[in-house]
Amino acid sequence: MVICLLAFFWIVATLFTGFGTLNVDLLTTSALKGGYFEMIVGTVYLFLGAAAIAGPIGVFAAIYLVEYAPGGKLTRIIDQAINNLAGVPSIIIGLFGYTLFSRQLGFGISLLSGWLTLALMILPIVIRGSEEAIRIVPTSFKQAALGLGATKWKAISLTTLIAAMPGIVTSVILGIARVAGETAAILFTSSVIITRGLPTSPFEPVMALSFNIYVKIVARGESPENVFGIALILFFIVVAFSLVAIILRIYYRRKQPWLS
Amino acid sequence: MKMSNKTLNKISSFFVSLKSQPMTVVLFLCASFSIVILFLMLFFVAREGAYAFTKFGPDLLFGMQWDLESNVFGGFPLLFGSLLVTFGALVIAIPIGVSTAIFVSEVLPFHLRDPIKSIIELLASIPSVLYGFIGLLIVVPLMADIFGLPSGQTALTASLVLSLMTIPTIVSVSGEIISAVPKDYKEAALGLGATKWETIKSVVLPIAKSGILASIMLGFGRAIGETIAVSMISGNQAHVASSFLDAVYTIPAFIATHMGEAAVGSLEYSALFGLGLILLIITFIVNTLADVVVKRGVQR
Repeated sequence: MVICLLAFFWIVATLFTGFGTLNVDLLTTSALKGGYFEMIVGTVYLFLGAAAIAGPIGVFAAIYLVEYAPGGKLTRIIDQAINNLAGVPSIIIGLFGYTLFSRQLGFGISLLSGWLTLALMILPIVIRGSEEAIRIVPTSFKQAALGLGATKWKAISLTTLIAAMPGIVTSVILGIARVAGETAAILFTSSVIITRGLPTSPFEPVMALSFNIYVKIVARGESPENVFGIALILFFIVVAFSLVAIILRIYYRRKQPWLS
Repeated sequence: MKMSNKTLNKISSFFVSLKSQPMTVVLFLCASFSIVILFLMLFFVAREGAYAFTKFGPDLLFGMQWDLESNVFGGFPLLFGSLLVTFGALVIAIPIGVSTAIFVSEVLPFHLRDPIKSIIELLASIPSVLYGFIGLLIVVPLMADIFGLPSGQTALTASLVLSLMTIPTIVSVSGEIISAVPKDYKEAALGLGATKWETIKSVVLPIAKSGILASIMLGFGRAIGETIAVSMISGNQAHVASSFLDAVYTIPAFIATHMGEAAVGSLEYSALFGLGLILLIITFIVNTLADVVVKRGVQR
C-alpha cells in the first residue's frame, strides 16, 4: 500500500515540477500560435458528447437489469457482455470505431466518430454505477407508487430513478474521468494534430490534449519537456473529475437517510 | 436443435411480456446493446483481418518477420514482446496489489479506508498517455542510469509502469472479495486464539482465493491490451527481446503506430486487424474466465 501512496505522490510531485512551464495565457491562445485553446475545448467536446450518448443508454440498461430482468440465462449473458465490453483494450475499440463509424457509416475522422467510440468506453462504467445506485433505493418507494395505481415504468421513473439520481450522475462523471485522457480510441477516429479553430460541425476533426501528447512524443520524437504544459492540464481535468465523483459518492453514501 | 415445449413457452411468454409494455422493450434494447456491440466488434475486426488470415494462417502470429517490402507479416516478436512485458508487470503487481488489498480491507482502521481507496481509484483514473509521459520523464532516465544503457526504453521500464497501472485493478477487485468474507468466520478463528495474521492466512485467503485469481486475470487483460503508455516507453523494436533490458514492441503499440501508415485494404492493414482480432480474443477469454472464477467462488 505504501508503494501505491508513494507512487501517487511521486506522480503529483513530478508533475508539479513542470508547473513553471504552464502559462495562463496559453490556455486561451489558439494552437496556431502555440497555445492550447483548441485542444482543451476539443477534449471537453469529446467527453461531453460521449457522456451524452452513453448516459441515457447506460441508465436504461441499468434499470432493465435491476428492475425488469427475469434473471435467466439471457440476463447472465447481458451481464457477461457488459463485463467483456469493459475489458476490451482501448486500441481495439479504436480499430472498431474506425471501421464502423469512420469508414462503414462514412463519418470520417470526426467529432461524431470520436463521440460514438468513446461512448462505448463510458457505457459499462455508467451501467455498473447506475445499477448500484438503483439497487440501494428501497423498494418501498416504488411500491408506494405502484399502490397508488402507477404503472411499473411510471413508478420506477418517478421514484426509484429520482432517488438514484446522485449515484447515476456520479457514475457518468466517473465515466468522463476515464475517457477524458483516452488516446488509443480517438487515435484513428476523431483527432488530428492541428485544426484551424474549433470544429463547427460534428463531422469535422477535433484536437485533443491526449492525442497531442502522444503524437508529439511518439511520432515526432519531441522531448517530454515540450509537452509538459499539455500533460499538466490533462492531469488536472482528469483528477478534478475523479475527485468530484469520489467525493460525491462518499457524501451521498453518508447522506442517504434510508441507508442508516 | 430440439427445443422442449417448456423453453418455447418461456421464450414466447418473454416476448409477450415485452409487447405489453413498450417501455420494457426500450429498456431491454438498451441492456442488450452491449451484446450487439461485442458481436459487431468481432465481426468488423475479423472482416478486416480475414485477408491476412487466409494468406498467412498461423504464421500471422508465429512468423518471425514483419516486412513491408516483401509483404510478409509475422507477429511473433510482437506477441513475445506483449507476453514479456505483461509477465514482468504481473510479477511486480501481484504481490504489491494483493498485499495492499489485504492491508486495506483487513488491517487498516475503518476511517482510513475511504481515503486510501480513493487514492487508489485516482491512480486508476490517470490516463495511460500520462503514465507514458511520466515514465518517459522519470523511469526511462532512471533505467538508463541504473543499468548503464544507452537508452532506458526497455521491457523492464514498460513492465514497471504497467505494474503501476495494473495494481489498482488487482487491489479493487480482490479487496472487494476479501471484505466480503463473512465476519463470523474471522471471529471464529480469532476466538480460537489465532492471531490476526494467522486468521488472514488460514481463513480469509483460502475463501478469497478465487476472487484474487480473478483480479489477477483482469489485471492481465488490462496489461496486455495497454497501448499508449507502453508504446511511449518500451523502445518499439520489433525483434525477439533477449532480456528485460532489451527494447520491445507489443501488439497494441504496434497497431497504434502502424495503422496511420498502412494503406486501407492493403495486406499490412489487414494484418494489423488480424493482430487486433487475436488481442480481442485473448481479452475475451481472460475476462470471461475471470467472471466464471468469481461466480464459482461466490457460489461455494
